[in-house]
Amino acid sequence: MMEDKIDDLFDYVQVRCLWQFFSRTWDRQENIDGVLGKAYELFTGKEPSLKTPADKLYYADAKSMVSDCLASFPWIKQASEAEIRQVLDGLKVRLVENVITKSTNRELTHHLY
Amino acid sequence: MPMVLLKCDSDIPERQKHIYLKGPNEDSTEFLPVANAPTIPGTLSERGCAFCGAKLVIGGVLKDTIQMIHGPLGCAYDTWHTKRYPTDNGHFNMKYVWSTDMKESHVVFGGEKRLEQSMHEAFDEMPEIKRMIVYTTCPTALIGDDVKAVARKVMKDRPDVDVFTVECPGFAGVSQSKGHHVLNIGWINEKVATLEPEITSEYTMNFIGDFNIQGDTQLLQTYWDRLGIQVIAHFTGNGTYDALRGMHRAQLNVVNCARSSGYIANELKKQYGIPRLDIDSWGFNYMAEGIRKICAFFGIEEKGEALIADEYTKWKPKLDWYKERLQGKKMAIWTGGPRLWHWTKSVEDDLGIQVVAMSSKFGHEEDFEKVIARGQEGTYYIDDGNELEFFEILDLVKPDVVFTGPRVGELIKKLHIPYVNGHGYHNGPYMGFEGFVNLARDTYNAVYNPLRHLAGVDIRDANPVALPVKIREAA
Repeated sequence: MMEDKIDDLFDYVQVRCLWQFFSRTWDRQENIDGVLGKAYELFTGKEPSLKTPADKLYYADAKSMVSDCLASFPWIKQASEAEIRQVLDGLKVRLVENVITKSTNRELTHHLY
Repeated sequence: MPMVLLKCDSDIPERQKHIYLKGPNEDSTEFLPVANAPTIPGTLSERGCAFCGAKLVIGGVLKDTIQMIHGPLGCAYDTWHTKRYPTDNGHFNMKYVWSTDMKESHVVFGGEKRLEQSMHEAFDEMPEIKRMIVYTTCPTALIGDDVKAVARKVMKDRPDVDVFTVECPGFAGVSQSKGHHVLNIGWINEKVATLEPEITSEYTMNFIGDFNIQGDTQLLQTYWDRLGIQVIAHFTGNGTYDALRGMHRAQLNVVNCARSSGYIANELKKQYGIPRLDIDSWGFNYMAEGIRKICAFFGIEEKGEALIADEYTKWKPKLDWYKERLQGKKMAIWTGGPRLWHWTKSVEDDLGIQVVAMSSKFGHEEDFEKVIARGQEGTYYIDDGNELEFFEILDLVKPDVVFTGPRVGELIKKLHIPYVNGHGYHNGPYMGFEGFVNLARDTYNAVYNPLRHLAGVDIRDANPVALPVKIREAA
């Protein structure tokens, strides 16, 4: 059941979100951490911090994702905070595996842009 | 599905690593075409050269800059007038072409004096123009002309001019992609933060990777104006040299073409802490999402929603008229790289079109990660496709329309398959809401155009084959 929910979000992110495919591993990791962090706050009704430019960027990306996912996946509205945390943690693992650790993109770790 | 070895590639089996047919539940961690790799000997590549990537794609778009091409005449001529990027100052960039016209004697004795003379001549002929980009080409790079030293000398002689040099001869990389890279990195290292822009809004951004193809930039600019967002620099559609020197002052970098221009966005993030937001500017759904993200960044969501609502009211009925008639049509996209992943879902979601084959000339593996994530199963994903492969793929997927450049387009037309210019557009702009209706209209006109059937009729035949009855059925 949990895997199905992670699948829902993973499939959505794969198709919709360019932030997962930035140029280098560190950019991808930053974006995954940043956007999913803000998504958690939005899913759980917390006020996201918008102090830094990076905060605002991740908020902008997360807001679209959260809005789309709430519209597409009714189970999210019924999920508890702990369940949302669990799903997003699972999603993060999947994304890191897919676009970083298992990616065969040969440019991902070049130290220069 | 594994990677695909086409019949035409039996003598160059290395091509198998570059062609992928997506199977059920597969992703790019299992199969990713090798990309941005040297073209395999024996294949007739459709790629351009590295110099072309710097000049034709990025630098040559600027509306106030002399493009001095240090090399034989052909390098200048062949990168002039082959792109459709107008400007709001009378298309200065498209009217003129500049070259040092290198001859054998200059190659033997060195071309620096020739370059210096040409730079002065160009500035003398156009006294109102004070900015110049100088490009090396294959011969001038090989003989080691020091173009930076010449540029410094000219700037010393003419204190009111500024010159940027791009040392990216055609042979420098595997495709035009190398030219994008060299220009991006050269610009951030040498020119960004050399001029302070005038700030006129509390919301500022750079719009990166849009080249005003048939007015894309100018159309999107109407959105930013309505939202009250100042675009400090357009990199480089309808852009100016000096605006690009002030990129360091923007609060946000919005990136459309991540392939040609992602480098400078990455460096602006690294060196100046400006966040990078990637969006898709083609398609209703995508454009709305991009506007929403930009407005969320600046905290002006209500303005964004009002703009989107206005545009939907105006254009969505027109889009839907075309969607009804294009539903289920099959499209192939054979362009540079990013338009594969920008377009595959937008034409599917907004027009009901199925993309059945995509080929990239200069995309990197990152581009294939994106397009395989977004694209359908049963679709071919090809890196650096050649003409024979195109023939074979056409036979396999039988598209109703092919989006590609004029060069491959000639092949497509001869096969009597509808073709739309996927590089310079037929009748753009194609970005934004109005633009995507233009794309839909051109697709519709191509698919239902009766002339391509007429072109296939052999008039020497006493009883020519009758035209298909389906012509204009949708109208």
